[in-house]
Amino acid sequence: MLDLNLMNVAITGLGAISAAGGNLSETLETFGLGKRNAAPVSLFPTSLKHPSFEVQKIPEEWNRGGSRTLQLALCATNEALEDAGIKGDVSSLRVGVCFGTTAASQLNDVDFYRAYRETGTLRMDSVDRFLKGNLAEVVAHTFDLHGPAAVVVNACTSGADAIGMALSWLRNDVCDVAVAGGSDELNLIALSGFASLGILSESLCAPYDRNRKGLNLGEGAGVLVLESEAVYSARGAKPKRYLMGYGSSSDAYHLTAPRPDGTGLESALRTALNEANIKPDDVSFVNAHGTATLDNDKIEGAVFTKVFGKGTKFLSTKGFTGHTLGAAGGLEAVFTTAALDVGWIPASAGFNCQDEEIGISPVSERTPIAGRYAVSTSLAFGGNNSALVIASAE
Amino acid sequence: MMSSQLKGMNIAGMGVVFTGGRGLASLDTSLRQGFAPPQMSKSTALKGSIPAYRVPEHILKDKSVLKGFRRADRFCRMAVLAAWDAVQDSGVIFEAGSSSLGIIMASALGPHSTTFGFLDNVIDYGDNNVSPKLFSHSVHNTATFYIAKVLDSRGPCTTLTQFAFSFHEALIAAEAWLAEGRCDYVLVGGVDETHTVMEHISAQKLRIANDGRIRQFDFSETPIAAPGEGAVFFLVTRQPTDKPHCRFASASTFDTKEIAKRPDIRMVDADGMAGSESPYRGLDWRDVYAAGYSPIFGSTMIGTGFHCAAAALMLKGQLRYACPIKDNPHGLRLCERTEPASIERIECVRFNCLGKKASVVLTR
Repeated sequence: MLDLNLMNVAITGLGAISAAGGNLSETLETFGLGKRNAAPVSLFPTSLKHPSFEVQKIPEEWNRGGSRTLQLALCATNEALEDAGIKGDVSSLRVGVCFGTTAASQLNDVDFYRAYRETGTLRMDSVDRFLKGNLAEVVAHTFDLHGPAAVVVNACTSGADAIGMALSWLRNDVCDVAVAGGSDELNLIALSGFASLGILSESLCAPYDRNRKGLNLGEGAGVLVLESEAVYSARGAKPKRYLMGYGSSSDAYHLTAPRPDGTGLESALRTALNEANIKPDDVSFVNAHGTATLDNDKIEGAVFTKVFGKGTKFLSTKGFTGHTLGAAGGLEAVFTTAALDVGWIPASAGFNCQDEEIGISPVSERTPIAGRYAVSTSLAFGGNNSALVIASAE
Repeated sequence: MMSSQLKGMNIAGMGVVFTGGRGLASLDTSLRQGFAPPQMSKSTALKGSIPAYRVPEHILKDKSVLKGFRRADRFCRMAVLAAWDAVQDSGVIFEAGSSSLGIIMASALGPHSTTFGFLDNVIDYGDNNVSPKLFSHSVHNTATFYIAKVLDSRGPCTTLTQFAFSFHEALIAAEAWLAEGRCDYVLVGGVDETHTVMEHISAQKLRIANDGRIRQFDFSETPIAAPGEGAVFFLVTRQPTDKPHCRFASASTFDTKEIAKRPDIRMVDADGMAGSESPYRGLDWRDVYAAGYSPIFGSTMIGTGFHCAAAALMLKGQLRYACPIKDNPHGLRLCERTEPASIERIECVRFNCLGKKASVVLTR
């Protein structure tokens, strides 16, 4: 078995786009100000008026005929590669691309299908957009990256699991560098589907709050550039932060509800901590999945109490971005890393009153953090649980 | 894996569901029998029919394994049955709630018939009156949920999607998980389904073999396809196993120079799904048997998975199956008869629409 302690993986680039900002700098400003950029959906016609978190503007250069999900992925990847200082300069390296998504994996174009049903004709522009829209392949092609390419479709853990997959590639020397994260657009399918499940809030979401009424949907992309420490050091640089551990587990319980005893999430968390070779006490904060649904927040809260104790600092950033589904794990890994960089976490937007059933509360104001380690958790339909451990350099 | 620390893994068990049946005995029988014309799939939109290697519905009516999975769609049922059979074939017993088993599933198109069913709901009943069951089942990873559930497996679980190489990426991921110690075994496989809309798209985008005869050795710039579907799973491990079928020695989706040790047989996954197949002409065919079995299970983006299952049977049984369609315009050394043979190494090759090559090598 590999000695994971000998396989340091550096996080060398970050990129993010969401309703909270068109890049990471804008996002941190939004977090600091506590701004919540939500409104009823404007991207497509719908009878559903729930607040949603739409990206305000995607730079035109990323509109290359592909899906909105792809445009978001390209935008965040560009920022991450520039941040890593390797954009356009990777021909000698094996660079893998691993993206998580939900929307980009399906031909779920209502107008295409309506036309097919009514006339029997296929709108080939929709078909081509789908067939030429595999996120990993197009991102690799666009940025001239040569290495493994995979798209993870694990619903809401997709982004985190894509990062975990990239970590496995790097540890196993499948590639030298990996671009990893998640991307998803807001679309009618997710909106109507989540509405049908009765878990969309008609007001702004309130993760962990006693009066939470469900989630708001959002969209965006979050991307990390990961490099084996040896490759990064060969570029004459010293890593500032690391991806230390990844844990994943299945609930094997229910398609759309987490296992009530939280053992799946706990297992993923403990695996990630073990891989990082740290104790729960070493963790300075947790960026929780925190969707603001009754079940998710209750179970996450119970598991955090069990694993980290009642005093742990945690937050959900979904009050700023909405639930971005396949992008969530990517965005939240970026936010977690950025928080270690800047030394603070924002207030968990939407939280006001402690839920006695949860028993612990997220941070309710901008909070300084000390320590090297942070955790990001993700849960998903299908019973997937994932956890990432991120560290700043000593 | 090319240029990596991954050193291969044993195949402890296999399971398949395809147009010819369920299980390795069915696959062996179909491979021995050779070509059988597929069903014709009728479509009012198509104003006609096209050949499709569909899995007969009766094969998916297992009341034992699928007990309690009344809501599972065809896609999930194919996946569960193949995965279940792979575990049974291995003889490995996993304790309930064990985390020693990982699950990695590849699919190019996912459960798209359910996705279109959900779109029917949106169109017919409005966006505020859709079925939550259809929505939850339209998510790609629903099948791995059902597999984890039927096995009560709590280990890591992931679903990958890509049009040409998702099965290859799944193999690479499986071996990486084993090397990292995330689990002791991985159920790794692929699932894809056909559906009238996708068959219609195939008819528009591809040249269809109206007689179902996929000509795998034409290496044509305009090849012909006949859509297929099914599921194939392998239980793989680094641990010694009692009766391993064979080994996955390597898998790669890039940097695939000719492998140093030449294979005895090269299987081509040229099934008309990925545009021009002329890149297959550029492979070194000297002293290598050529084989291809797509006419047994149809054209499908996860065809490499089925070819690997056929390769595993050949390595374990030390026999070559005759190619079901023997058109051979390039004079390759085809496997023309089903006969005993000494086989150490089989390579399965697939090119994507950009002409990039992926390969899987299996050894005894």
